[in-house]
Amino acid sequence: MRLLASLTRRLLVAVPILLVVSALLFTALRVLPVDPAAMSMPPNATRAEIEQARIQMGLNKPLPVQYAIWLGRAAHGDFGQSIHLRRDALRLVAETLPATIELTGAAMLVAGILGVAGGLLLFALRDRKAELVAETATTVLMSVPEFIWALLFIFIFGVLLPVLPFTGRLAPSLDRPVVTGFLLLDAVLVGRMDVLMSALAHMVLPALALGLAFSTPVMRVLRASLLDVYHEDYIRQARLRGLSETRILLRHALKNAFLPTLTLLGVQFGFLFGGSLLIEVIYSYPGMGNLMVDAVRNADLPVIQLVGLTYCVVVLFINSVVDGLYQVLNPRLRAR
Amino acid sequence: MRRWWHSARVLVGLGLAIAVLICGVLAPLIAPHDPNAQDLLATLQPAAWQAGGDSTHLLGTDSLGRDVLARLIYGARVAITVALAASFGAMVIGSALAYLAGYFGGRVDWLIGRAVDVWMSFPPVVLSLILMTGLGVGERNVIFAIILVDWTRFCRVLRSEVLVVRRRDYVAAARLVGFSHWQTLTREIVPATIPLLVTLLTLEMGIAIVVEAILSFVGLGVSPDQIAWGQMIADGREAIYQAPWTLLAPVLAIFLAVAGFNMLGDGLRRSLDVRMVEGRE
Repeated sequence: MRLLASLTRRLLVAVPILLVVSALLFTALRVLPVDPAAMSMPPNATRAEIEQARIQMGLNKPLPVQYAIWLGRAAHGDFGQSIHLRRDALRLVAETLPATIELTGAAMLVAGILGVAGGLLLFALRDRKAELVAETATTVLMSVPEFIWALLFIFIFGVLLPVLPFTGRLAPSLDRPVVTGFLLLDAVLVGRMDVLMSALAHMVLPALALGLAFSTPVMRVLRASLLDVYHEDYIRQARLRGLSETRILLRHALKNAFLPTLTLLGVQFGFLFGGSLLIEVIYSYPGMGNLMVDAVRNADLPVIQLVGLTYCVVVLFINSVVDGLYQVLNPRLRAR
Repeated sequence: MRRWWHSARVLVGLGLAIAVLICGVLAPLIAPHDPNAQDLLATLQPAAWQAGGDSTHLLGTDSLGRDVLARLIYGARVAITVALAASFGAMVIGSALAYLAGYFGGRVDWLIGRAVDVWMSFPPVVLSLILMTGLGVGERNVIFAIILVDWTRFCRVLRSEVLVVRRRDYVAAARLVGFSHWQTLTREIVPATIPLLVTLLTLEMGIAIVVEAILSFVGLGVSPDQIAWGQMIADGREAIYQAPWTLLAPVLAIFLAVAGFNMLGDGLRRSLDVRMVEGRE
């Protein structure tokens, strides 16, 4: 209940930000040297025809009026048509967003598991010589951006030892069940084990590449906050009470050290969600990132605008959820 | 031991960064071939030490028979230009706003803080792609896009540091002696934040190299006639089965360059930050 209230408050704060973002996006894309009217017409269209289209699309009106028109239509769920694909932009996003969410969720899981495991390992190595090596290793790992991991994994697991698929979301021989758009969920819903296994296999490499790149900051923050927590009195108390080191770490320290890590995971989500774009391009994964890159290549303004906006909505939403969780989990904030 | 290890890391980082710089500046002198010279009779040749390799092409040739090593060296040019220009630009804008926000506080701080919020709600890759749509391809536009995306990294971190420094006694003393706001900022506050700024700048160079590679990889970076590591990766990916080294060479180059800047930045942070130096002893 408390979470819900705190979450609602935070989501309300996000609304003005979203309005500003949409206005900025709108302006940025309108001042471009591309003419959406001319682009939506066949190449042999006359000047008069293009002018007609401009008037029809409202492009002859002043920018604020154009934005108001756009906002009014957007409120009714009309985000325009893709110029390149000649399909409803909202529909295109609705078809690709679940794939991106699935990929990002899996990557977040990888980043969380590897990050916590690595952070505990780094902490266990404190004040030993091996710590220097481990620290250097994390610096080096941090220098590998997700798209480099993606390419290396394709080379290692796709070419050298061809054990995992690295294109698409599903083996081409399988037909895709569509219930919710979330492939893993749909496969379970219709009870198709073959589809589930194939979808999971296709997700391993992209999720690993994306998650690995974001696990190193998690490791570092967890280690640093564990070091901080170990200076607190209650750790000494616990030792005096004769608790084992493992119990102190897992039952007392980790719980408190986890809060800064949670905040970091929230901040990282924006980067991770954006990073999925490139991973999708590299693995030909049919998500929103590929839609975006295609739209950008074809200067498909309505799609660019809506996809850009969707990325922002998701990031703002997740940040609100993380903030809300933080508020609920942190006893110091709960009292207020 | 610790000290030695840290300075070793800084040195390795510095060495890597300087190596990229030298490759970029002296590319025409040290490149073994013309990077654009095609030899369609010798395409996808393996590296010199592999079976069938040829010592005239140390790292082999790409799908158009161009020398991979020469292209790698010329690619450093774009990488280092973008890294230096974009990170300086982002630093100037981001830190100027951070000083304003942190020093004056109040409405200025609120306004700049909300601007950062709006910017941060865009995933950086998405924002840079949108900007490149508007700006069009080209080295200058890549630099411009990175500046417009990454100023927030400087602004956010530096602002909190300025908030701390502003409350120090010597800043109050400077004001009491009759320093103007401008004098206080430039003589007392800016110098106190230089170590942080240098660290952020170094780390940003690594980020800029990655972003440039990403943009060039999707074909929205530098113009197609320029040689960039990202483009080499895109080309190499097409030939991954026949000639994996054309992919691995630029991948390794990016990794080494970024690792260099990261190690340098990380090491500088530890050696320049007084608090960390004290905590270490």
